[in-house]
Amino acid sequence: MSVTVPRVDAPAVEHQVPPSKRRTWWWHDPWRKPRILEAVTWAYLAWSIVPVAIAVLLAFNAGRSISTFQGFGLTWWNQDEASLFKDPELHQAIFQTLKLSVGTMIVAVPIGVAFAIGIDRWHTRPATTANFVMLLSFVMPEIIIGVALFLVFQFLLKFIRLGTVAELLGLITFQLSYPVIIVRARLLSIGKEYEEAAMDLGAPPRQSIRRVLLPLLYPAIFASAALVFADTIDDFVTVNYLHAGAPTEPMAVKIYTAARGSPTPAVNAAATLMLVSTTIIIVIGFLLYRHFTKGQRAGMHDFAAQI
Amino acid sequence: MTEAAPPADRPRLFRRRRASAGSESGVWYPRWFWPAWSAPGALWLLVLFIVPFYVVICVAFGTVDLFRNPLPVWEPWYWTASNVTGVYHKIFGAHAFLQPVFVRTFLYVLAASIICIVVGYSVAYYVARYGGRRKTLFLILLISPFWISYLMRMLAWVNLLQTDGYVNRVITFLHLAPRPVAWLEGRPLTVILGLVYGYIPYMILPLYAFLDRIDQSLLEAGRDLGGSPFSTFVRVTIPLSKPAILAGLVIVTLPMFGDYYTNNLLSNSPKTTMIGNVLDDAIETGGQVPQGAVFVILLMILLIIPMLYYMRSTRRSLEEA
Amino acid sequence: MRHPREGWKAARLSRRDFLRRGAAAAVGLPSLAAIMAACSNPTKTQTPGSSIPIPRPDNPVSQPMKGEPIASGLQPEKGATLKIFNWDQYIWKHVVGDFCAKYDCDFEITTFNNMDGAIGKIQTGQLDFDIFFPTIDVLSKLVATDYLQPLNHDYIPNLQKNIWPELVNPFYDQGSRYTVPYAVYTTGIGYRRDVIPDDTIFGMSNPYEILWDPQYSGKVGIYDDYREAIGMALLKNGITDVNTTDPKQIELAKNDLIKMIDAVNVRASINGAYRFLPQGQYYLHQAWSGDMAAAWAYVNSYTENSFEAIGYWYPEDRKGVIGNDLMTIPKNAPNPVLAHLFLNFMLDFQNSMDNFSWVGYQPPQNDADPDTLTKTEGLYSKLSGWAPPINYIPPWMPAAVVRKEDFDTGYMELELTPTVDNLWHDAWQQFQAGAQ
Repeated sequence: MSVTVPRVDAPAVEHQVPPSKRRTWWWHDPWRKPRILEAVTWAYLAWSIVPVAIAVLLAFNAGRSISTFQGFGLTWWNQDEASLFKDPELHQAIFQTLKLSVGTMIVAVPIGVAFAIGIDRWHTRPATTANFVMLLSFVMPEIIIGVALFLVFQFLLKFIRLGTVAELLGLITFQLSYPVIIVRARLLSIGKEYEEAAMDLGAPPRQSIRRVLLPLLYPAIFASAALVFADTIDDFVTVNYLHAGAPTEPMAVKIYTAARGSPTPAVNAAATLMLVSTTIIIVIGFLLYRHFTKGQRAGMHDFAAQI
Repeated sequence: MTEAAPPADRPRLFRRRRASAGSESGVWYPRWFWPAWSAPGALWLLVLFIVPFYVVICVAFGTVDLFRNPLPVWEPWYWTASNVTGVYHKIFGAHAFLQPVFVRTFLYVLAASIICIVVGYSVAYYVARYGGRRKTLFLILLISPFWISYLMRMLAWVNLLQTDGYVNRVITFLHLAPRPVAWLEGRPLTVILGLVYGYIPYMILPLYAFLDRIDQSLLEAGRDLGGSPFSTFVRVTIPLSKPAILAGLVIVTLPMFGDYYTNNLLSNSPKTTMIGNVLDDAIETGGQVPQGAVFVILLMILLIIPMLYYMRSTRRSLEEA
Repeated sequence: MRHPREGWKAARLSRRDFLRRGAAAAVGLPSLAAIMAACSNPTKTQTPGSSIPIPRPDNPVSQPMKGEPIASGLQPEKGATLKIFNWDQYIWKHVVGDFCAKYDCDFEITTFNNMDGAIGKIQTGQLDFDIFFPTIDVLSKLVATDYLQPLNHDYIPNLQKNIWPELVNPFYDQGSRYTVPYAVYTTGIGYRRDVIPDDTIFGMSNPYEILWDPQYSGKVGIYDDYREAIGMALLKNGITDVNTTDPKQIELAKNDLIKMIDAVNVRASINGAYRFLPQGQYYLHQAWSGDMAAAWAYVNSYTENSFEAIGYWYPEDRKGVIGNDLMTIPKNAPNPVLAHLFLNFMLDFQNSMDNFSWVGYQPPQNDADPDTLTKTEGLYSKLSGWAPPINYIPPWMPAAVVRKEDFDTGYMELELTPTVDNLWHDAWQQFQAGAQ
């Protein structure tokens, strides 16, 4: 004989009611969507990007105004006398910018990466000091580095005349810390197991670095190369002190002086050109990164996360 | 890894590294190996970063020649303190006209940093925790300021803040002000917002990187112990993210002290002069280059102290971890 | 941890360690030692008393001959690049292009916005330009620091032929050893005629005071130049010596400038007068006559109304600041013959008038009758095509015309001794640092 146990209805528990039918106020709902934060985020992103979009739009302004869009036109690209492509000085400036950016990138990134690898493994007092100095150069306002180098090239290292060489040296000094920081962050998350595994399998130290560690660092290396390139295209503080006349003034200096002095939409056009070239470089960097890290988990997220 | 004695045929150059925090012994690298990797970078910094500061000191403690060109004095025993005392009087003396500049710079940087933290943390928190599928999109948008050049971004605001620009149009359309506001004519608000606009991406990314890796279980524990979302946030998340906030602050605040171009582009009025402007003007004027060098040293000292504090606190937190 | 068997190795490596640490210092030591050996106490080697000549109209100066001018009869350099160091927007590229077409060269113009900054850059000694355009008040210093080369006037016959006699043998450079004049100008106030009627400003007892008038707050500008700004404040207070050495007078002028910051939210710029006043960002700006004469090209819409809205005030008794700019050739000019020929080219009547039509600054040409300047159309106006014809000096700003007699009544900004220069610069620094 079976005992009939009276069925007790399970009490209506709150969490079984879907949140939308809940009667508590939105603010008190612990599982509410973070609407304020979401609004702040979207507002920030709009505040961050929309002005630039308008500036790019004004580069294609048909009229002279830098504040109001007066119709679409290529006036400031190749039609007006003072436009971007008709001004011969701007050709020189574009060429100079490319020289400086590529030069800085190919010197600063290897030295910086090497420095990061070394510092990460070398645990002595000099290493900590070197690390401190590197971090100092990262947070130092650029004007200090620019002024200090200007005085050095004027009074001490007089054989280095102001000009492209001085500009390159100054830019590399300023940019050196970027690859270091990015690569160190990546190294911290990699750990030493892979190298030790390689060494256990008989690889000499140099090979283990070259064939194990460096490929793991590719995202960081490419990201830092892209960042250094973008940052150098934009740099005008250091170059302002170290340039030697019109032929050694890159685009950034010309844009800065024009923006202060006589802003026309041609300045916007020049800045848009800089933007386009940086974007192309980033895309190339990303594609190269994809190519080099075929075996690893590749994706925009990973690449972007390096920065 | 277990330690083993080196085999007899290995060259004696190889030796075990000292065991120190965070490293594992048992891996055979020559002693010069790691320093060799760091040497080029360290040497570069020595020659082009450390030595220039000695030159700056020599110029600061030097003199000017007959034509008011700067003359650095290389031997420390010939240094003259006239420039330093001159600058000291300009900051603390009877007619201290540089004191308002320093105070003003501090206030601007403080205001800008606070806005950066508040807005930056909110954005980083939202993207890290609630980003979901759109996280990559958010990330790309957040990184974009790094490759949209600083100049382009400031130029955008110069365009928008003109008297007949779009900002004023929106304001007058919404009747927020009786007539167009002159944004670019010496307003502290414009300069502060310009600073925020320029530097906030450097705050958001470290915060995001950190918040992204926070252990969710810690947060859940806070909630399970009965805390409301807000108190979990205050008592768990914020203390956990202290190192990230500190790092973001260091990256954002210290360069702001030397910023002079934001003021030049957005204001260009003596009302909003910052330390960087005074420095820049002094270096341009031949007779005031030693004064400019003194300003550089002053700025350096102002910045090294927070840097040292930051290094100490991060090392301590690393040891605690 | 050191293995006990490696005791002596440790000792050897610690020596290596020491050497490694010492290497860094050793790298630096030789260079430092060389420098220290080369230097003696600089404060002791300065010779007090040796000074630079201070030219004044009643104290004409022959600048010392530093070196030899180039030989006569040389051929101009071929395929060269002429390097010009000049104020921003201060020479018409069209005219320079004509020169280069004639002599088969390229040209490069590097600009500066500030004479102080320009001097700072060139005195690093590491820049080489062919032509430099200084003002008079820095000439003696440039000669004394051996920066300029003496001119060979065989290449520059146009100087004697075309230029005002007073400027052919000027008091600041007797015999024109180093300079030729480029343009003459006066310093007054540029204003928007549609906001401030002519009669208002010309009718004031002390028109300089309009720059302190709070009703134009936010729309007032002065030059970012310490001589011009402080000079104007001196004149406002009735002090006519714009090269004053009296610290009290400088202090008075400086305090007035600082009062301006609060009164009208003044901004200092170099190009505000011609670049931004036509666009309405300023209603009043301290202005050089040439700036206002050329301002019409910078309006937003090319209409008669826009052009006629730009005005220029200068004291009617012609007792205000007046000056002229110079063309010089630096000593390390890579193309000195070409540079001499360029100077001659710019002193030619037609070329200088063409340049005048774009730049707005009047050349001291004998054949340019001042009374016709407001009635004759210039080359730039003809070439521009889009505008109603604009004469060399627009007729609604007759005060902008400069006559020879103005130099007798006007006050020139001239060289200061280094001590006095320091006073002026310190005062300017105080103004730039902002309100108290």
